[in-house]
Order: sequence, then structure tokens, then C-alpha cells
Amino acid sequence: MTSSPSTTLPEARSAVQTTRLPLATAAVWAVSAAIVGYALIFGGYAATIISFALIYAVFVSGLNVFMGLTAQVSFGQSAFAAIGGYSSAVLTTTYAWPPLAGMSAGLVFSLLAAWAIGFPTLRLKGHYLAMATLAIGLITYEIAVEWESVTQGYLGISGIPPLGIGPFEAVSDRQILVVLSVVVLVIAFAVKRIQHSRLGRSFAAVAGSEEAAATLGINVARTKLVSFLLAAGLASISGSLFVHVVGYVSPEVFGLHMVILAFSMVYIGGLGTVAGPLIGALIVSILPEVFRGMKDSQDLAYGIALILILIYAPKGIAGVAGAFDARRAA
Amino acid sequence: MFKTAFGRQFFASVVSVVALSSAAQADDVFKVGISAGLTGYAATVDRAWSDGVQTAVDTLNAKGGIMGRKLEVVVEDNRSNPQEAVTVYRKMVSSDEVNLFASGCVSAGNAAAAPMVAKAEIPMILCSILPKDAAWAFTTLPPAGFEIEKRFEYLRDKTDIRKVGVLHDPTPYALLQKDVAQKVAATYGIEVVSVEAYKQDDADLSVQLSKMQAAGAGAVMKIGLGGTTLTAAKNLKQLGSPMLLLTSLEDLAVFKPVAEVLGDKFFFVASPSQVYEVYPDGGLKTAIGEFLEPWRAKFGDRDPNWASRGWDSIMLAAKAIEAGQSFEGSAIRDNLEKITGFQGTTGSYDMSAEKHQGISTNPFVVAQIIEGKVRIAQ
Repeated sequence: MTSSPSTTLPEARSAVQTTRLPLATAAVWAVSAAIVGYALIFGGYAATIISFALIYAVFVSGLNVFMGLTAQVSFGQSAFAAIGGYSSAVLTTTYAWPPLAGMSAGLVFSLLAAWAIGFPTLRLKGHYLAMATLAIGLITYEIAVEWESVTQGYLGISGIPPLGIGPFEAVSDRQILVVLSVVVLVIAFAVKRIQHSRLGRSFAAVAGSEEAAATLGINVARTKLVSFLLAAGLASISGSLFVHVVGYVSPEVFGLHMVILAFSMVYIGGLGTVAGPLIGALIVSILPEVFRGMKDSQDLAYGIALILILIYAPKGIAGVAGAFDARRAA
Repeated sequence: MFKTAFGRQFFASVVSVVALSSAAQADDVFKVGISAGLTGYAATVDRAWSDGVQTAVDTLNAKGGIMGRKLEVVVEDNRSNPQEAVTVYRKMVSSDEVNLFASGCVSAGNAAAAPMVAKAEIPMILCSILPKDAAWAFTTLPPAGFEIEKRFEYLRDKTDIRKVGVLHDPTPYALLQKDVAQKVAATYGIEVVSVEAYKQDDADLSVQLSKMQAAGAGAVMKIGLGGTTLTAAKNLKQLGSPMLLLTSLEDLAVFKPVAEVLGDKFFFVASPSQVYEVYPDGGLKTAIGEFLEPWRAKFGDRDPNWASRGWDSIMLAAKAIEAGQSFEGSAIRDNLEKITGFQGTTGSYDMSAEKHQGISTNPFVVAQIIEGKVRIAQ
């Protein structure tokens, strides 16, 4: 893949130029904080929607590293969410492991799987890579359905313990929201640091042109693999978070629906931006609820809203905010 | 904060009015929440279930409600997806403040939301299999063995076939039935010679059917919903197979084209409401008649099977509320557990603290469609 929309890397450009405060980007963070704050104050239904949005923000952050920063395409990230989720579920329910140990084991399994899968497949480019990753997602889904002795197939696994360390458990809506908010902030901070690190510059170089990056002495295959591992790791964490928050897992959770939703989030939020995954996840999660009262027209209204956002903010909301800040700074 | 007596009085009045009006609103109607797969794989079944619940609510409201309190239905589409189910359950618990759930057949969605609903102390009467923690959940679903046993009974009593193949989809209820089939076949003098799986969107089942025929099966016991029944029928005809096809419970609209393909080689498990006209007189037929009158007035000859169980869910709740003279969640749950000998449209319900799957006698029959008419197989 030699070119992609992500090569613009709006935040990377703006960071170099910024002397003024990036007000528009700050506004994106402020709106996100306000939405999470609203859910924290009012709890209940709003808290459930925002909790799912924050879990998706973790998943989409990983997708954003692979697609946004490195300009590769993967339709199979749900596979790593499934590995993380099922590892947590099985280890905590069948073997009584604590949630953190289950999540860690899931992370290790996902990284091993990502390494084994990424090593051969990342030699592919463009549509071939996309098709290979799509197949990985579908295969993992089928394994979750068919490996009944471990996953219990469509019956699913219930009774998964809540998030917690030792005697401290996040049981209430607000506790869960706080934990998820902290996780999302830590990940956003880490992505920001990666973006401006040597590794991040390698990602940007590969995103711009794999041939040019190789000429500069960058090991393209290794860079793509590292990006894939980061994305798989974050997907695994999101899968584990999901099962501990809901207390139940079944294969449908990690189906193609998850991939489609995540792609919507990453494009609505802004590919290659730090705030994009969060605001994208929040908007894509909230919009259907805003239109829920419209019953049968809900999907139509939701689709129109998404199209309008993409027409008027083709680089995503955080992308537009970054471009606005860059123009102010110029 | 309020420096004058008027200010304090005004504030107190506003608080009282708000509190009283919200209390009055809460007391006005008894809200029944439905988490249903109105879209997605469960759409056919869950739309019917939801309409059955609404029919029961309308009927009770026309009689003045339950103990003078009207009922209101809040239905939300869970898209046949567990994550969406958790969201809509949460909405109905905290925003709509429903008093009872009469939810559809998406087992994974009901299981995912069950702990949260139990925490809110709201009883659930379901179309699906029971979640693992079923303290607050009850189901109108007959035990998985009933559909299997009825087919084995028919084969044993009416045919010479002693070897069958089991063809099933991967849904939880189908898997439970498959396990029962393997377990109980021998007690009917029947041998399961082949067990084959398929996916709900498979467009060809010839391989599975050929394997069964090669294994010596005289009949195919198909377990699962949807268009694959017609696929199986067409494949059997293409293969020129002499095997009978005996399928599980399904909407009659699905069966009619299957009967056109296979004729008298096609049999299916039918609920009493599907064979109402030819069902023997008795308490069950009377109960079905009470449901079919408003149902047919509204929906004509639409298949009543899933809707009748939705109707049962509301009538069970009404019975529990009247027995306990209380609309409190815990009282409804306790009294649901005490229900015995309740005649529903699918059978007689006997609940207990240990048994939340109430139908205890097998209400099903094996039926056929001959010349476009549904009849009990002889």
C-alpha cells in the first residue's frame, strides 16, 4: 500500500506548527469529557451506552494505530477481541483466575496469535491484506461457535466476574465508567507518545510509502508487525473489558457487526488522530439512542446522520478540529 | 438557600407536586418491557411473540387491566444481538422503569442482561431458554426433549423406521435438542446413525443428507428454524431420497412450500394452537380459543404459535399479581413460583422455586400439511 487517506496525519502536522493552544482539538476532548461526565452524573441507561462506547474506544484506538498511523487495512481485529474476551471469560469462570490475570493471559494469547498471523500476512498489501484479515476474523468467529467444550458455542459463557483487583471490584455503573475512562485516557496518552516517537515516525514513513521507508533504512515488515501487534493488544484488552463489564460472552459479540461499527467509529472520529477513536466511539454509540424513538426509521435516520458527518467532516471530527487548529497556527 | 418563608413553602410545594405526580404516573400503569429481535435472525419469531404480548395486554386492558391497573407495553429492538440487548434492557429498567419483562427468543441477549435485571429485582418471563442465573427469570419454552420425544414416538408407533439422522443448526436450543435426541433415542428403540450440523444461511444440505442416507437413516430429524427446511426438502427430492423429513416447531408459513415439495414425506412438530381446529376438546383447546379470538380479529390467519406463548407470559404474570395482590417485583416472582396447574395456550404450567420452566406435560403433536390443510399425522 503506497498511499492512503491516513498519510495526512493531521495531528502530527499540527503539532509541529502549533504555537497557539489547539482550541478545536481541546473542544473535542471537552465534549467527550462532558458526555462521559453526563453519564457519570446520571448513571443508568446513559452509563451503559457510554461504557460500551469507551470499550469500543479502546478497540478503535488499536485499529487507528494500524489503519491511521500505519495506513494498513485490517477487517479481522475482532479476532483478537474474541481471543481476549474468551480467555478472560474461560479463565475466570472455569479456572477461577482473578480478572486482571485473565485479561493479561488474553493479551499474551492475542499477541502470540497476532505474531503468528501477522508474520506471513503482513507481506501482503492492499486488498490482499484486507481479505486475509477478514478471513482471520471469520475463522475466529467460527472457532468460537464450534469449540463448544471451551466456549459453549451460542449458549455463551455467563457468570463472568466484574473488573477488579483483589477485594476492589467495579460493580456499579459509575465505578465501571471511572475504570473505563482511566483506561481510555492511558491508552490515548500512550498513542500520543507513540505517534511522536521514533516508532511513530516509522509508522508514518510506512504509511507514506513503503518503498521510500525501506530506502530510509526502515524495516517495513517489522514496523507493520509492531503496528499489528499494538492493534491486536488493544483489541484484546477491549474484548476482556467487554466480558467483565457485561458478565457474559457469546460469539455474536465479536461478529462482523463489531468490525463495521469500529470502522464507522474510526472514520467518524478521524483516522490517524488521538482524540478520534474516543469521539467517534461516543458519537456512533449515542446516535442510535438519539433516534431510538423513531422506531422503524431509526436505522434510516442513523445512516443519514453518519453520511452527513462524513460529507461535512470527511477527515472525521478530530481531523477537522486538527485542521482548524493548524490553520489558526499558520 | 431560601431566605423567606414564602420561598421555602414554594420550594416544598414544587417538590411535593413533582413527587406526587411522578408517584401517580408510576402507579397509573403497569409497564411490560419486551426486549425482542425485531430485526436480525430472530425477527420472525420475536415479532410474533411481541404481537402476542400486545394482544394479551390489549385484552386485559379492555377488561379494566389487572386489579384495576392498566398495562402498557414498551418494546425495544435488540437486533438479535446480545450487546444491543443489554443496552435496551438497561433503557427499559432505568428510563422506562418497566415493572416486568416479557422478552423474546434471543437467548444470548436475555442471558447477557439477566444479572442486571435480577439486580433491579424485575421478573422476566421469556420466550428463550433460561439464563444460567434464573432466580428472576421464567420461561414459557417447553423442555428441549418434548419436540424430540414426540417425533420418536411417531416413528416408533406409526412407522418401521428405526434408524435416523439428526440435522441441527448451532443455536442453543437446537444443541440442547440434539443432545436429548442422542440420549433418549434408544428408549424408543431407535438408533441415531448420523449427526450433522449446518449453518442457518447454508444454501445446500446435500452433503449432510447424503451422509445420513449412506449411514442407513430412514428419516431426518431436522432441528432449527428458517429457510433451511425448504433447502433440505429440495435436496432430498433432488437426491431422490426415500428418507422422511421430520422438522421441529416452526411458523406454518415456512412449512407450506416444504409440503409442496415433499408431500406426505414431510412431517413437523406442531403446537396445539397450530392445529386448533383438529385438536381434541378440553382445557387446552379452550385456553387457545380465548387467545385466538382477539388474535385472529387483529392478525387473521397468521401463525399463532409464538404469539400464543407471548400471550401466556402476560396471563402468567396476571395470575401471579392477582394471587399475591401485589405489583411488587419480588411478590410477582414469588407468586410465579407458586403457580401450578395453570392452563396456558401451549400447555399446563407448573412452576416452583427450583423449576422456572413451567410446561411439564408434552403438548405437541406431529402434523402434516395435506392439500394445503394442516392435520395431525395419523
